[in-house]
Amino acid sequence: MATSNGEDGSVEVQLGQTRVLAVVKGEITQPYPDRGNEGSLAIFTEFSPMGDPAFEPGRPSEMAVELGRIIDRGLRESRAVDTESLCILSGRSVWSIRVDIHILDNYGNLVDAANLAALAALLSYRRPECTVGGDDGQQIIVHPPEVREPVGLIIHHLPIAVTFAFFGDGNFQVLDPNLKEEEVMGGRITITINSQGEICAVQKGGGVGVSASEVMRCLRIAAAKAQSMTETLKKAVEIHEIERAQRKIRRHPNLQNQIDTASSVPNPIKKIEVEMEETSEDIEPKQALDTERGIKDLSMSDSSRMKSTETEVAETLTEKPSRAGGRDLFAGGESAWGDDVKLTPLKGSPGTRSTLFPLDSDALVEFDVAARAVLRGGVSSQRMSSKLVSEPLQRQISDQIAAAAVYANQTSPLISEDARPLGPIFPRVGDMDSTEESDAALETKSVSQPEGTPVNFYFSGKKKPKKRGGSGRQD
Amino acid sequence: MVMAKVEVGAAPSLNVAERADGRSASQLRPLSLSRGLLTRAHGSATWSQENTTVLAAVYGPKPAAMKKENAERAIIEVVWRAKSGLSGSYEKDAEVVVRRSLEYIILTALHPNTAISVILQVINDDGSLLACAMNAACAALVDAGIPLNGLLSAVSCGVTHDGQVFLDPTKPEEQKCKAYVSFVFPSRRLSAVPELPADVDGEPVEYGILTSVTRGAMEVEEYFSCVENCRAAAAKVSEFSRSSIEQSLKGNRDGC
Repeated sequence: MATSNGEDGSVEVQLGQTRVLAVVKGEITQPYPDRGNEGSLAIFTEFSPMGDPAFEPGRPSEMAVELGRIIDRGLRESRAVDTESLCILSGRSVWSIRVDIHILDNYGNLVDAANLAALAALLSYRRPECTVGGDDGQQIIVHPPEVREPVGLIIHHLPIAVTFAFFGDGNFQVLDPNLKEEEVMGGRITITINSQGEICAVQKGGGVGVSASEVMRCLRIAAAKAQSMTETLKKAVEIHEIERAQRKIRRHPNLQNQIDTASSVPNPIKKIEVEMEETSEDIEPKQALDTERGIKDLSMSDSSRMKSTETEVAETLTEKPSRAGGRDLFAGGESAWGDDVKLTPLKGSPGTRSTLFPLDSDALVEFDVAARAVLRGGVSSQRMSSKLVSEPLQRQISDQIAAAAVYANQTSPLISEDARPLGPIFPRVGDMDSTEESDAALETKSVSQPEGTPVNFYFSGKKKPKKRGGSGRQD
Repeated sequence: MVMAKVEVGAAPSLNVAERADGRSASQLRPLSLSRGLLTRAHGSATWSQENTTVLAAVYGPKPAAMKKENAERAIIEVVWRAKSGLSGSYEKDAEVVVRRSLEYIILTALHPNTAISVILQVINDDGSLLACAMNAACAALVDAGIPLNGLLSAVSCGVTHDGQVFLDPTKPEEQKCKAYVSFVFPSRRLSAVPELPADVDGEPVEYGILTSVTRGAMEVEEYFSCVENCRAAAAKVSEFSRSSIEQSLKGNRDGC
């Protein structure tokens, strides 16, 4: 779904047929007088006439301003990006980060796509390393990327925007409305929430009145959706980082030798474990998880993982090619889920602190039914059309899956096309890349596939079906 | 007494024989063209010259704003969106250049009282940006089905401080060279023949230069040398874009 353009800080996100490009640039400026030791983050949204014939160049329309504000609140005011680390000389020079969001193709739900693009761009952006020096200790030396590796931004959490559209009397909600749904909807609500279940922003402006219980239901679904989106986002960013490391190796063949003779594989893994244990709060469930899932379980202690990623990035990412080769920890191994697995402990992942948002009971039931049908059928959408599954069961399965899909994101082409015989169906890393990146994707597809993470299980039911109506991938 | 030519500010000089990416002076970067990426736009195309990428979208013919419409022909609007930052004078200038070039190929008299909008989004700038944008715009027009009387092919080249001409400069090369120029040539069947005319006089119109934008100062001889080199290169570019378009159209329609 998301593709980075091979450059740091430039990301294009495709959500169904909606395309958004986000570009991050940093420059050194003077800080605001009342915030002398904080850098600044500014988000600029351009509704380019490319995206929609109705967009006019010139002054931003109301919609553009609203979108800019929602993303601003979600990213900046929620302190997702650490601004204090952007300070170089207190009161004199700070980094000023600028995010430009360009709408390339408007097919509905620009907020979610733009938010994701901005986040991904911030995650992949690297600013030049700079040190303070000189005779008076007041000169700033900016090191070019060839001399010192550029450093990434510190991001504490990932606020994901989830939008619902209301129809009827407000009692019917649809997730991720597309253009046609937006034209006829009665109202909408956008919830910016992170994978720990913390609500960063809620925006419901006008439209049909919705009862509080409906809003609560939306919140719960958004919480679940945010977790899966965070996974997707992190995977895409990882792919980009691997490519970046590979490009670096190609440019500096000496590095390749260093990696080959580097310490054996278990060490880097241990390092991450140790770091996470120190910073995470839920020690107990995490240990239980580690044995099954391995380090890649990103839904746990996100911030700690982020920090460890930053420090370990050069080492571990370049280790990945050899790691994936035969490491059972990452290959997933056998599925721990049988046919009769209870799906009730679906209230958030056990590893997170988000036990506050159990899924709604009827959503749960539908997930349950759909997932069972998928498991029972044991087929992917491809095989469903084969003669292995009988006609009425096929229809039932597809209805149930369609129902589950209503509650979840069925727009991203994450679905694996190959039929997997048993067990849950997980999105394949290679499916997320659009055709432009296909070569690079093929290269990296076999490299890191964090399969076998049961945490994602309850999303499998929804990820399987492709979006109806011709968007998404058609193969 | 011999005075050596002192070049002011010529710190790292460009050695054409050893370009950073290993190309020779007369080698273009790998080109790639993909069309039809956007759903809302009537036509869209992405043109890449290795790392320089421009996405062009075309809407039209659509009703023009009252004060801009022309009763005799379609008006062409060009919007140039930089990758980052506000639009400044560079963008305005580029919009004018692109518009004037497109006015030559679009059959505007066929659609009076309408507007044809071309929106260019810089995805990445690694040199030869204007040429890349022109090529993208032309391909997007084809994708939108706007009637044209020919295609365009654009190439850019630079001149080093010691007078050597090299094609398709990257961003660092553009910054280090003495001057660089972007040419746009009309690309019609006749002119796609890669033979150069023996003399400059009496050249048929199709070989003419449609647009030439220079940055920096160069000698007259150097300029003519650039023209020759770029014309040869433009034939290759034209060949590539035609074959790419024909290939994708063959799948859709028969014998178009």
